[in-house]
Amino acid sequence: MRAPWNKSILESTLLAVLVVATVVSAAFILVTLNITDRRAHESSSARLSELVESAENTASIACFVEDYTLALETARGLLKNSDVLGVVIRSDKQELARVYRDRATLASGTSSRPGRLVRPLYSPFNPKDKVGEIQLDADMERIRQTTSEQVRFVGTLLVLLVIAVVAAVAAVVMFLVVRPVQAMSNRVHSMDAAAGETLPVPLGHTKTELGRLAQDINALTGRLVGTLQHEQQLRQAKELDERKYHAIFDNVEACIFIADSSGHLESINPAFARLIREALGREAGDKLALSALPWVTPARPTEMLTLSLRSNTPQADDLEMYLPGEENRWLNLVLRPIGIELVQGMATDVTDRHQAEALARRLLVTDQLTGIRNRAGLESALRERLARGGEPFALMLIDLDGFKHVNDALGLPAGDEILKNVARRMLSSLEEQDVVARMGADEFAVLSSVAHGEEEAARIGERLVQVLNFTFLTEGTPVQLGASIGIALFPGDGQDVPSLLRCADLAQGRAQANGGGRCQFFDPSMAAVAEQRRQLDADMRLAIRRNEFRLYFQPIVDLQENRLAGAEALIRWQHHAHGLVPPDVFIPAAEESGFIREIGLWVLDNACLQLATWLKEGQDIYISINVSARQIPDGLPPALIADTVRRHGIPTRRLVLEITEGVLINDVARAQAWLDEVTNKGFRVYLDDFGTGYSSLSYLKRFAVNSVKVDKSFVRDMAEDSSDRKLVAAVVSMASSLGLTTVAEGVETREQLDILKDLGCRYIQGYYFSRPVPAEQFAAAALRIGAMLEEDKLATA
Amino acid sequence: MKSPALHHLLLTLLTTAGLLMALPAAAELVVVVNPKSGVEHLSRDEVINIFLGRYRQLPSGISAQPVDMPASQPEKSLMYRLLVGKDLDQIASYWSRLVFSGRTSPPVQAASTEEVLRFVAANRGAVGYVDHSRVDNRVRVALEIQ
Repeated sequence: MRAPWNKSILESTLLAVLVVATVVSAAFILVTLNITDRRAHESSSARLSELVESAENTASIACFVEDYTLALETARGLLKNSDVLGVVIRSDKQELARVYRDRATLASGTSSRPGRLVRPLYSPFNPKDKVGEIQLDADMERIRQTTSEQVRFVGTLLVLLVIAVVAAVAAVVMFLVVRPVQAMSNRVHSMDAAAGETLPVPLGHTKTELGRLAQDINALTGRLVGTLQHEQQLRQAKELDERKYHAIFDNVEACIFIADSSGHLESINPAFARLIREALGREAGDKLALSALPWVTPARPTEMLTLSLRSNTPQADDLEMYLPGEENRWLNLVLRPIGIELVQGMATDVTDRHQAEALARRLLVTDQLTGIRNRAGLESALRERLARGGEPFALMLIDLDGFKHVNDALGLPAGDEILKNVARRMLSSLEEQDVVARMGADEFAVLSSVAHGEEEAARIGERLVQVLNFTFLTEGTPVQLGASIGIALFPGDGQDVPSLLRCADLAQGRAQANGGGRCQFFDPSMAAVAEQRRQLDADMRLAIRRNEFRLYFQPIVDLQENRLAGAEALIRWQHHAHGLVPPDVFIPAAEESGFIREIGLWVLDNACLQLATWLKEGQDIYISINVSARQIPDGLPPALIADTVRRHGIPTRRLVLEITEGVLINDVARAQAWLDEVTNKGFRVYLDDFGTGYSSLSYLKRFAVNSVKVDKSFVRDMAEDSSDRKLVAAVVSMASSLGLTTVAEGVETREQLDILKDLGCRYIQGYYFSRPVPAEQFAAAALRIGAMLEEDKLATA
Repeated sequence: MKSPALHHLLLTLLTTAGLLMALPAAAELVVVVNPKSGVEHLSRDEVINIFLGRYRQLPSGISAQPVDMPASQPEKSLMYRLLVGKDLDQIASYWSRLVFSGRTSPPVQAASTEEVLRFVAANRGAVGYVDHSRVDNRVRVALEIQ
C-alpha cells in the first residue's frame, strides 16, 4: 500500500481538491441551508405579512362595521394562499370569521403557535381606534417543504459545482502537469544523456515551469555528463599513470623494493629479483632480509635502515656486493622512509661509475708519460705514510741536470724518451715498496723507508745519483745526464707534507747549486737562506715605493761613426739595509715571482724619462732596456711601450728592447706576434746574450731583430782562445750577411776592441769605455769617451 | 397615509378659496337631526359611525337613517373631508366593499339640501348634514362640523 505522499500528482491533487471542495461545499451547504431556511422563513413571514397587510383594509372595514360576510370573504381570500393554514378575524365584540383548511387542526386561542400571525385592526377612519384583529396561521409544514426543496436545489447545485471543479482540476492537472511530467519522466528514463540526447521541452510549455524544468534538467544532465566525462578522463589518466608506473617499476634497471624495519623485503621489482638470483643463486622467496645479500659490508644496509627510520630522513650510500663468478658490483643504495615502519629502497648499479672513478683517481695520481705517480700521487702517498705514524722515511727530490737544454736542443720527443728512461732506471734501482713519482718537467721524487736513518738514505741517494749519471743517445747524439738530489728525512726534517717537500726542494736546490751530480741532505741553514730569499721578495715589492731602484747606464760606442751611440739601462737595487743588491740576485727572484713585470714597467718609464731629458739636452743617443721572457707578451704590451714613449715625447727608434733567446723558445707564436708588433711600431730589438743558449741561428732569420749582442763570455776569452774568436767572427759575419748589426758586450781591453774592430763589429759596450754609471755621471762618461775616440782617431790617423 | 398637517393645509386652502370666491357665505356644515329624535347632540365619532355604517342606532336608541347629499353638491365632499379626511372616491371605494357583502348599505342619497331637510324632518331617526345657513326649525343641529 502506498503512502498518501507516494500517490501520483493527479491522485493527490484530486484528493486534495475533493477534500477541500467537499469540506468547503459542506460548510457552504450548511451555511446556505441555514441561510436559505431562514430566508424561506423570513420570506414566508414577509409574504404572510404582506398578505395580511393586503387584507387589512378590508378586514378593518369588516370589523368596523361588524360585517361577517365581508370578514369571511376576506378570510377566504387569504386562505387561497397555499402558505396559509387558517384565518380568524375578530372585532372587539365577537369573532367575525374563522376559516381553516380541512387537514389543519382547528386549534385556537394559543397565540404562541408557531407560524401564527396576529395583527390588530384599526378603524379606517381613525388609526387610533382598534376595532379588531386578524389572526393568520401559516402552513409551516408546507413552508418547510418549500424551503427544503430550495435547499436541496442549492445543495445539488453545489455538489455539481464541486464535481465540475474536481473534473476541471483533474483535467487541467492531467493535461498540463501529469501528462507532460509523465512524458518527460519516460523520456528521461529512456534518454541517453551521454550520447548527447536532451529532454525536449513539452509542447506548449516553452515558457511554463515545466519548460524551465526541462531546460534545467538538460542543463543538469549536461553538467552531470560533463562531470562524468571529466571523471572518466581522470580515471583513464590515472589508470594510464598507474600502468606507466607499473611499467617503470617492472622495467626499470634499478632495483626497487620496500622493506620493513627489520630489513625484510616486502615487495621487490623484477630487477631486484634478478639481482637476488645472481647474488644468491636462488629466488628471493618470502621475507628475505636485505642484510642476507652478500654485501662486502653486511652491517651497513641494516645500519642505514635503522638510521633512516629513526631520523626519518633518506639515507644513501654506495655499497659493494660480492657476485659469484663476477666482479664485485657497486650499488648505490637509497633508503627512504615511507612511514609505518617501512622504507622504500632503490639500488642502482653504479659499478661503471665506481670503476670510472677509480680510474680517474688512478689517472689523477699517475704521470701520463712515465706511468709512475705524479705530484698528487706522491703527496697522497706521503700523506698515507704520515698517517701510518712514526716509521721513519726519506723524501728525495731529483732534478735532472742539463735536461732543460736537452729539451730545448733536441725537442720534446727526445726529452720524453729520456724521462721514461729515467723512470725505468729509478724503478729498477729501488725496492718494491718505495714510491717513485714524477713531480713535473724533469723533477722526480722518491719516497723510501729508511729504518737505519741517514746512512741508509745516503746509500739510496748515492745509488740514484750513479744510476742517473748516464749518457743517453738520442738520434745519434749523446747526451750526458746527471741528477741533483735533495733529501728530507721524516720525522727529523718535517712533520707534514708541505714542509717535507719544501725541505727536500731546498736540499735539491742546494745540490744543483753545488754543481749537480750529487745528493744533498736538508739542513736548517737552507731554510734560513730560503727565508732570506722570501724576505728579499717581500723587500723587492716594497722597493719601488721606497724608491730603492736606480737606473745605471752603460754607454755603447759606434765604431763606424766613432761616437757614443747609446746606452744600456741597467737596474740596480740600493737596499735600505743590505746595500747594493746585484741584479743577478734579484732579477731571477723577480722573474720567478712575476714581480719582474712591475720592475719592467718601472724601468721602461724611468729609462724613457731619462732619455727624454738627454734628448732635450741635445744628446743623439738611444737607450736599450732589457725585457725578460716573463714580460712577454702580457707584462709589457707593445701598445703600452708605444704609449709610454709618446708620453715622454721620444721617437720610437730611440728605444731598443733587448730580449734573450729564451723569449723565443718558450712560446714561439706569441713571442713572434709580440716581436712583430713591437718592430712594426718602430722599436728596435736586440737579441741579448747571443751564443750562450741553445738557440738556433735560424731564429735570427725567423724573428725580426735588428741586432745581436755577442755575450761577454765570448769576448772575454777571445784574445786567448782562438775558437771563441772564430765564433765571434762567425756571428758578426753571419749577422752582417743577414743585415743585422752586432753589439759586443764586456769589452774591457784595447786588444779586444781591436779584434772586434777587425772582425767588423760595429758597436762596443764594456769597461774599456765605461762602467755602467748613474745618470748624473753619464755626461762625464760621455765626455771621457768622446776624448778617447778623438785620441784614437788621431792615433789612427 | 396622508399626514394630518397636509390635511390641515388642504383644508385651509379650500376654506380660504371658498371665502375668496364668496361662495355661499358660511362654509360651515352642520349635522342635523329630527327634533323628535331625542337627540340633543351627536359626537363626531357618533356621526362617523352612523354615516359610515357602523351603528344604525342613535344614542337614544332609535334606528338611525343617515342621508347623504348628492355627490354633485359641494357639501358632500366637504362633509366627508371634514369628518374623516377622505375624498368621495375613497368613500365610494369603502362602500363598494360593504355593498359587495350585502350586509350594510350606504346612507340614503338625497337630491338636494331641501330634500335632506325634508327627509330629516320627516323621519325621527334621520341624520343629515347641510350648510348651516340652510338650517331651519324643521331640524335640530346636533353637531357643527368644522
